[in-house]
Amino acid sequence: MDQLAQQLVNGVLIGLVYSLLAIGLTLIWGVMNVLNFAHGEFLMIGMFLSYWLYVMAGVDPLFSIPINAVALFLLGMLVYRFIISKVMKGPALAQLVVTFGISIFLANFAALVWTPNFRSIEHTLLSGTWDISGLKLSIPKFVTSIGSVATSLGLFCFLKKTRIGKAILAVEMDREAAVIMGINTERINSLSFAIGSALVGVAGALLATHYYIYPFVGGSFGTICFCIVALGGFGSIEGAFVAGILVGVVQTLGGYIFDPAYKLAIVFIMYLITVWIRPQGLRGW
Amino acid sequence: MTIRRVLLVLAVFAMALALGAGSALAQQKVIKIGALYPLTGNLAATGLDCKRGADLAVEIINGNFDLNLPFAKGEGIPNLGGAKIEIIYADTKGDPKNGLAEAERLITQEKVVALIGAYQSSVTKTGSQAAERLKVPFVCSDSSSPTLTERDFTYFFRVSPHDGTMARNQFEFLKDLGDKQGKQIKSVALIYENTEFGANVAKMQQQYAKEFGFNVVSDIAYPANASDVTSEVGKLISAKPDVVMHAAYITDAILFTKTFKEMNLVPQGFLTMAGYIESDYLPTVKADGNFMTVRSTFALDLAKKKPMVGQVADLYMKKYGIPMGENTARSFTAPFVLADAFNRAKSTDSQAVVKALLETNIPGDQIINPWKGVQFDPKSHQNIHASAMLVQIQDEAYHTVWPFEAASRELKWPFPAWKDRK
Amino acid sequence: MFDISGKQITVGGIVLALLILFPLVVTSPFGQHVAIITFMFAMCGVAWNLMGGYAGMFSFGQVAFFGIGAYASSFLLVTFNVSPWIGLMVGGVISAMLAASIGYPCSNLRGHYFAIATIAFAEIIRIVFNNWKLVGAAEGITVPMLKESVGNFMFHSSKLPYYYIILAFLLIAVAVCYWVSSSKMGYYFRAIKESHDIAHVLGVDVVRYRLYSIMISAFLTSMAGTFYAQYILYIDPESVMIMPISVQIVLVAMLGGANTVLGPVIGAAILIPLSEYSRAWLGYKGTGVDMIVYGTLITIISMYQPNGVWGSITYLLRRGK
Repeated sequence: MDQLAQQLVNGVLIGLVYSLLAIGLTLIWGVMNVLNFAHGEFLMIGMFLSYWLYVMAGVDPLFSIPINAVALFLLGMLVYRFIISKVMKGPALAQLVVTFGISIFLANFAALVWTPNFRSIEHTLLSGTWDISGLKLSIPKFVTSIGSVATSLGLFCFLKKTRIGKAILAVEMDREAAVIMGINTERINSLSFAIGSALVGVAGALLATHYYIYPFVGGSFGTICFCIVALGGFGSIEGAFVAGILVGVVQTLGGYIFDPAYKLAIVFIMYLITVWIRPQGLRGW
Repeated sequence: MTIRRVLLVLAVFAMALALGAGSALAQQKVIKIGALYPLTGNLAATGLDCKRGADLAVEIINGNFDLNLPFAKGEGIPNLGGAKIEIIYADTKGDPKNGLAEAERLITQEKVVALIGAYQSSVTKTGSQAAERLKVPFVCSDSSSPTLTERDFTYFFRVSPHDGTMARNQFEFLKDLGDKQGKQIKSVALIYENTEFGANVAKMQQQYAKEFGFNVVSDIAYPANASDVTSEVGKLISAKPDVVMHAAYITDAILFTKTFKEMNLVPQGFLTMAGYIESDYLPTVKADGNFMTVRSTFALDLAKKKPMVGQVADLYMKKYGIPMGENTARSFTAPFVLADAFNRAKSTDSQAVVKALLETNIPGDQIINPWKGVQFDPKSHQNIHASAMLVQIQDEAYHTVWPFEAASRELKWPFPAWKDRK
Repeated sequence: MFDISGKQITVGGIVLALLILFPLVVTSPFGQHVAIITFMFAMCGVAWNLMGGYAGMFSFGQVAFFGIGAYASSFLLVTFNVSPWIGLMVGGVISAMLAASIGYPCSNLRGHYFAIATIAFAEIIRIVFNNWKLVGAAEGITVPMLKESVGNFMFHSSKLPYYYIILAFLLIAVAVCYWVSSSKMGYYFRAIKESHDIAHVLGVDVVRYRLYSIMISAFLTSMAGTFYAQYILYIDPESVMIMPISVQIVLVAMLGGANTVLGPVIGAAILIPLSEYSRAWLGYKGTGVDMIVYGTLITIISMYQPNGVWGSITYLLRRGK
């Protein structure tokens, strides 16, 4: 079995998880220019939701995807309506502090009501590993990556083909011009925040099939996701998608070939070199 | 009746009164101990485990229990007129800065006479520094960095074994495995989270591997709390070690176990620690944790040789509804060591307590850990009897497997292939 | 050059006198500790403000300079027995130089791209230190307990000297910030913040002034790092180089009011006692209620005071005139 090929596959698999987390983040970022620190905590809520649906109602995480999407969509809408929208007119950093406050609140609130203990979903429809002539392919991770591709494609089509999607893209490109064109930017903001949250809800359900679940799980993904979004170019869905895979592969292969202790450093160096050459990221404008 | 007699009777009466009043006063006395633990944040689950252990210990000391533990029978500390112990907790969030601040606060504001804690070695380091400055004893039973007892502090004592001792125990086991069971081990791979804890463990393992003549084929440091560890496991697979030695906290222990299985890493055995024996580990990974061999200072099956352990574990189960584990057992012992010192010092004055701690000699049958007892080295203040045993997870429970004489179950070795299970 | 009115001098003098008297009234070590940590973060916030508030470069990587300051003095003290005061200067110079070397290639990055670049930079520095055997790698450096003296930058019997040293540091930082903001450089910074391109067209050497602000900011932050190491006496990458410290610094500046000299000081005076006392009062229960309160409060403050507490006060004062 060729370990290098195995690592490449693993890199793509984790990279697609990153992509899925990053597209929601980049949508919010692109439209509202808000760096959402609470993204990881929304993921945590999504994972817990799948967990409780599984434990209490026996719903397999795969079937909780739509429930998660709807629930997180509503949560995102509420958070936007009652908190974020209040600071949209203030300085950019105020929005950031608000999302940071929300993230601390959510993680610790989850620890209070659900205890800080670790949980996992044991038997899902997807447990197990395929062995393709020596190449190990974890089934839940594979399905997660399929989910990631499908979700990204769905979002992409939604933005390009539907009226609302086009309005979102218009706001993303030029807010003032969009206002002149008669687009209700407040509605677009709220919608984008809700969609971004719904996407991370989907990610939560998919990750719940093979990842541990605990109130502080969001922290494991935070920094790297910011880096991916910036690498891809703020607001660019396809940029975030590609950057996610790139970071996953570079991190995994870098860790395998060089030294795992430096694997994140390699990713960050890649980011610095990229923006040094192309200050707007891979696909930004 | 002569005047002298009358006077004598009066004197006796007065003395009795004084004694009675004195003991009545003392009975209301409460001895405050401070405890530093990471009670919130991502090590909160661990910190709360430690807290439960210390709480149960205090309940046993203060209450009347029929257990072979110091001060279990009869309420409070006898030589201090039955004084009760109270623990004042402080949350460190795992930050050394808070360790310092909270230790100072507990000592100067809450007036605690001794400290216990603080799980992470880095926090214990700063917390014990504050205790040393303020001249208050710090009895540590859960931090394992060897450097803590290399500082020759006057007020710092450690009950539990440090990473050096435990690394030696691990290699003694590997040697025993060859000598007594004919299962020869040649190479080991070290994999550890790149923090103060992991790096210290690996340093000690390197040292003892050389001493015991094992070949270290791979030495992998990885960033803690990673979101993906497939490249680390890939490196292990390529190195083909006989034994994988892993030092990790709970998050990584869970993720690595899942990745070992997914990528089908099957060495002859896994020698692990810390995260693999947290109370959350088995409930999370379930059967995938089977056949991991873990270094420990406690196992429930010690009850077979020491019935008292079973009684304590039952009390714990009744009180909290979860089985007692390694972290709990470690934090459980410190209050007893301190209570014993208070009792012999007949005071809570720090000089007297330190002197008493230095003379500590608690026999092995009065502690729940598998050691010959508690006795501190006069210079380093490390418990000279502290050592680790090895437990193996079988049927989703921890069983003592080494030292072989003390084993309650036979060691399953080599590690069964993942695909052959169930 | 300084436009300070008599009233401001009087108020400033009273506040300073109160700060000097504070530890003589509040004698509990914990109270003094909270004040010390408050000043330390206030200082970092003021330094951040030079970049973020005035020049518009939002740095989320200040912890790199903080960590380098802590490491430089500790390493020199442990290895070569060099006084921490010299270490403080060395750390400051290294930080400033490093800041320049990273600031230069990043000088064409704007907004969030710059912010993420600073995170990347700080994470790289952390990973390097975490693996660098010479400086103790992951095990960190334990600063040996020396005899207490100002020369040794170490005090065991009392926190008062630490208090006055960090107070002095904070005053230095505030003075530097005040000087910069009221000098020509300050106007250039603001011009750069308003618009890169227009500042450039107006003949402001954008790259050079951006570098100045980053370097001054790095030097001051590094001083705070050295102070931390001498105060806590143990450092490792996990305690002096992690991102939450950078975020804390930004929060302090933001909540107080970026773009004002005293904003970060006010921010620290709210945020740090809040987190320290809520931990002391509620943290022991292990329920995380203190963090819930903390998260809720910073959300509410920034919702209703988006320009920061001090920013809103100065705005009201100005409008009242």
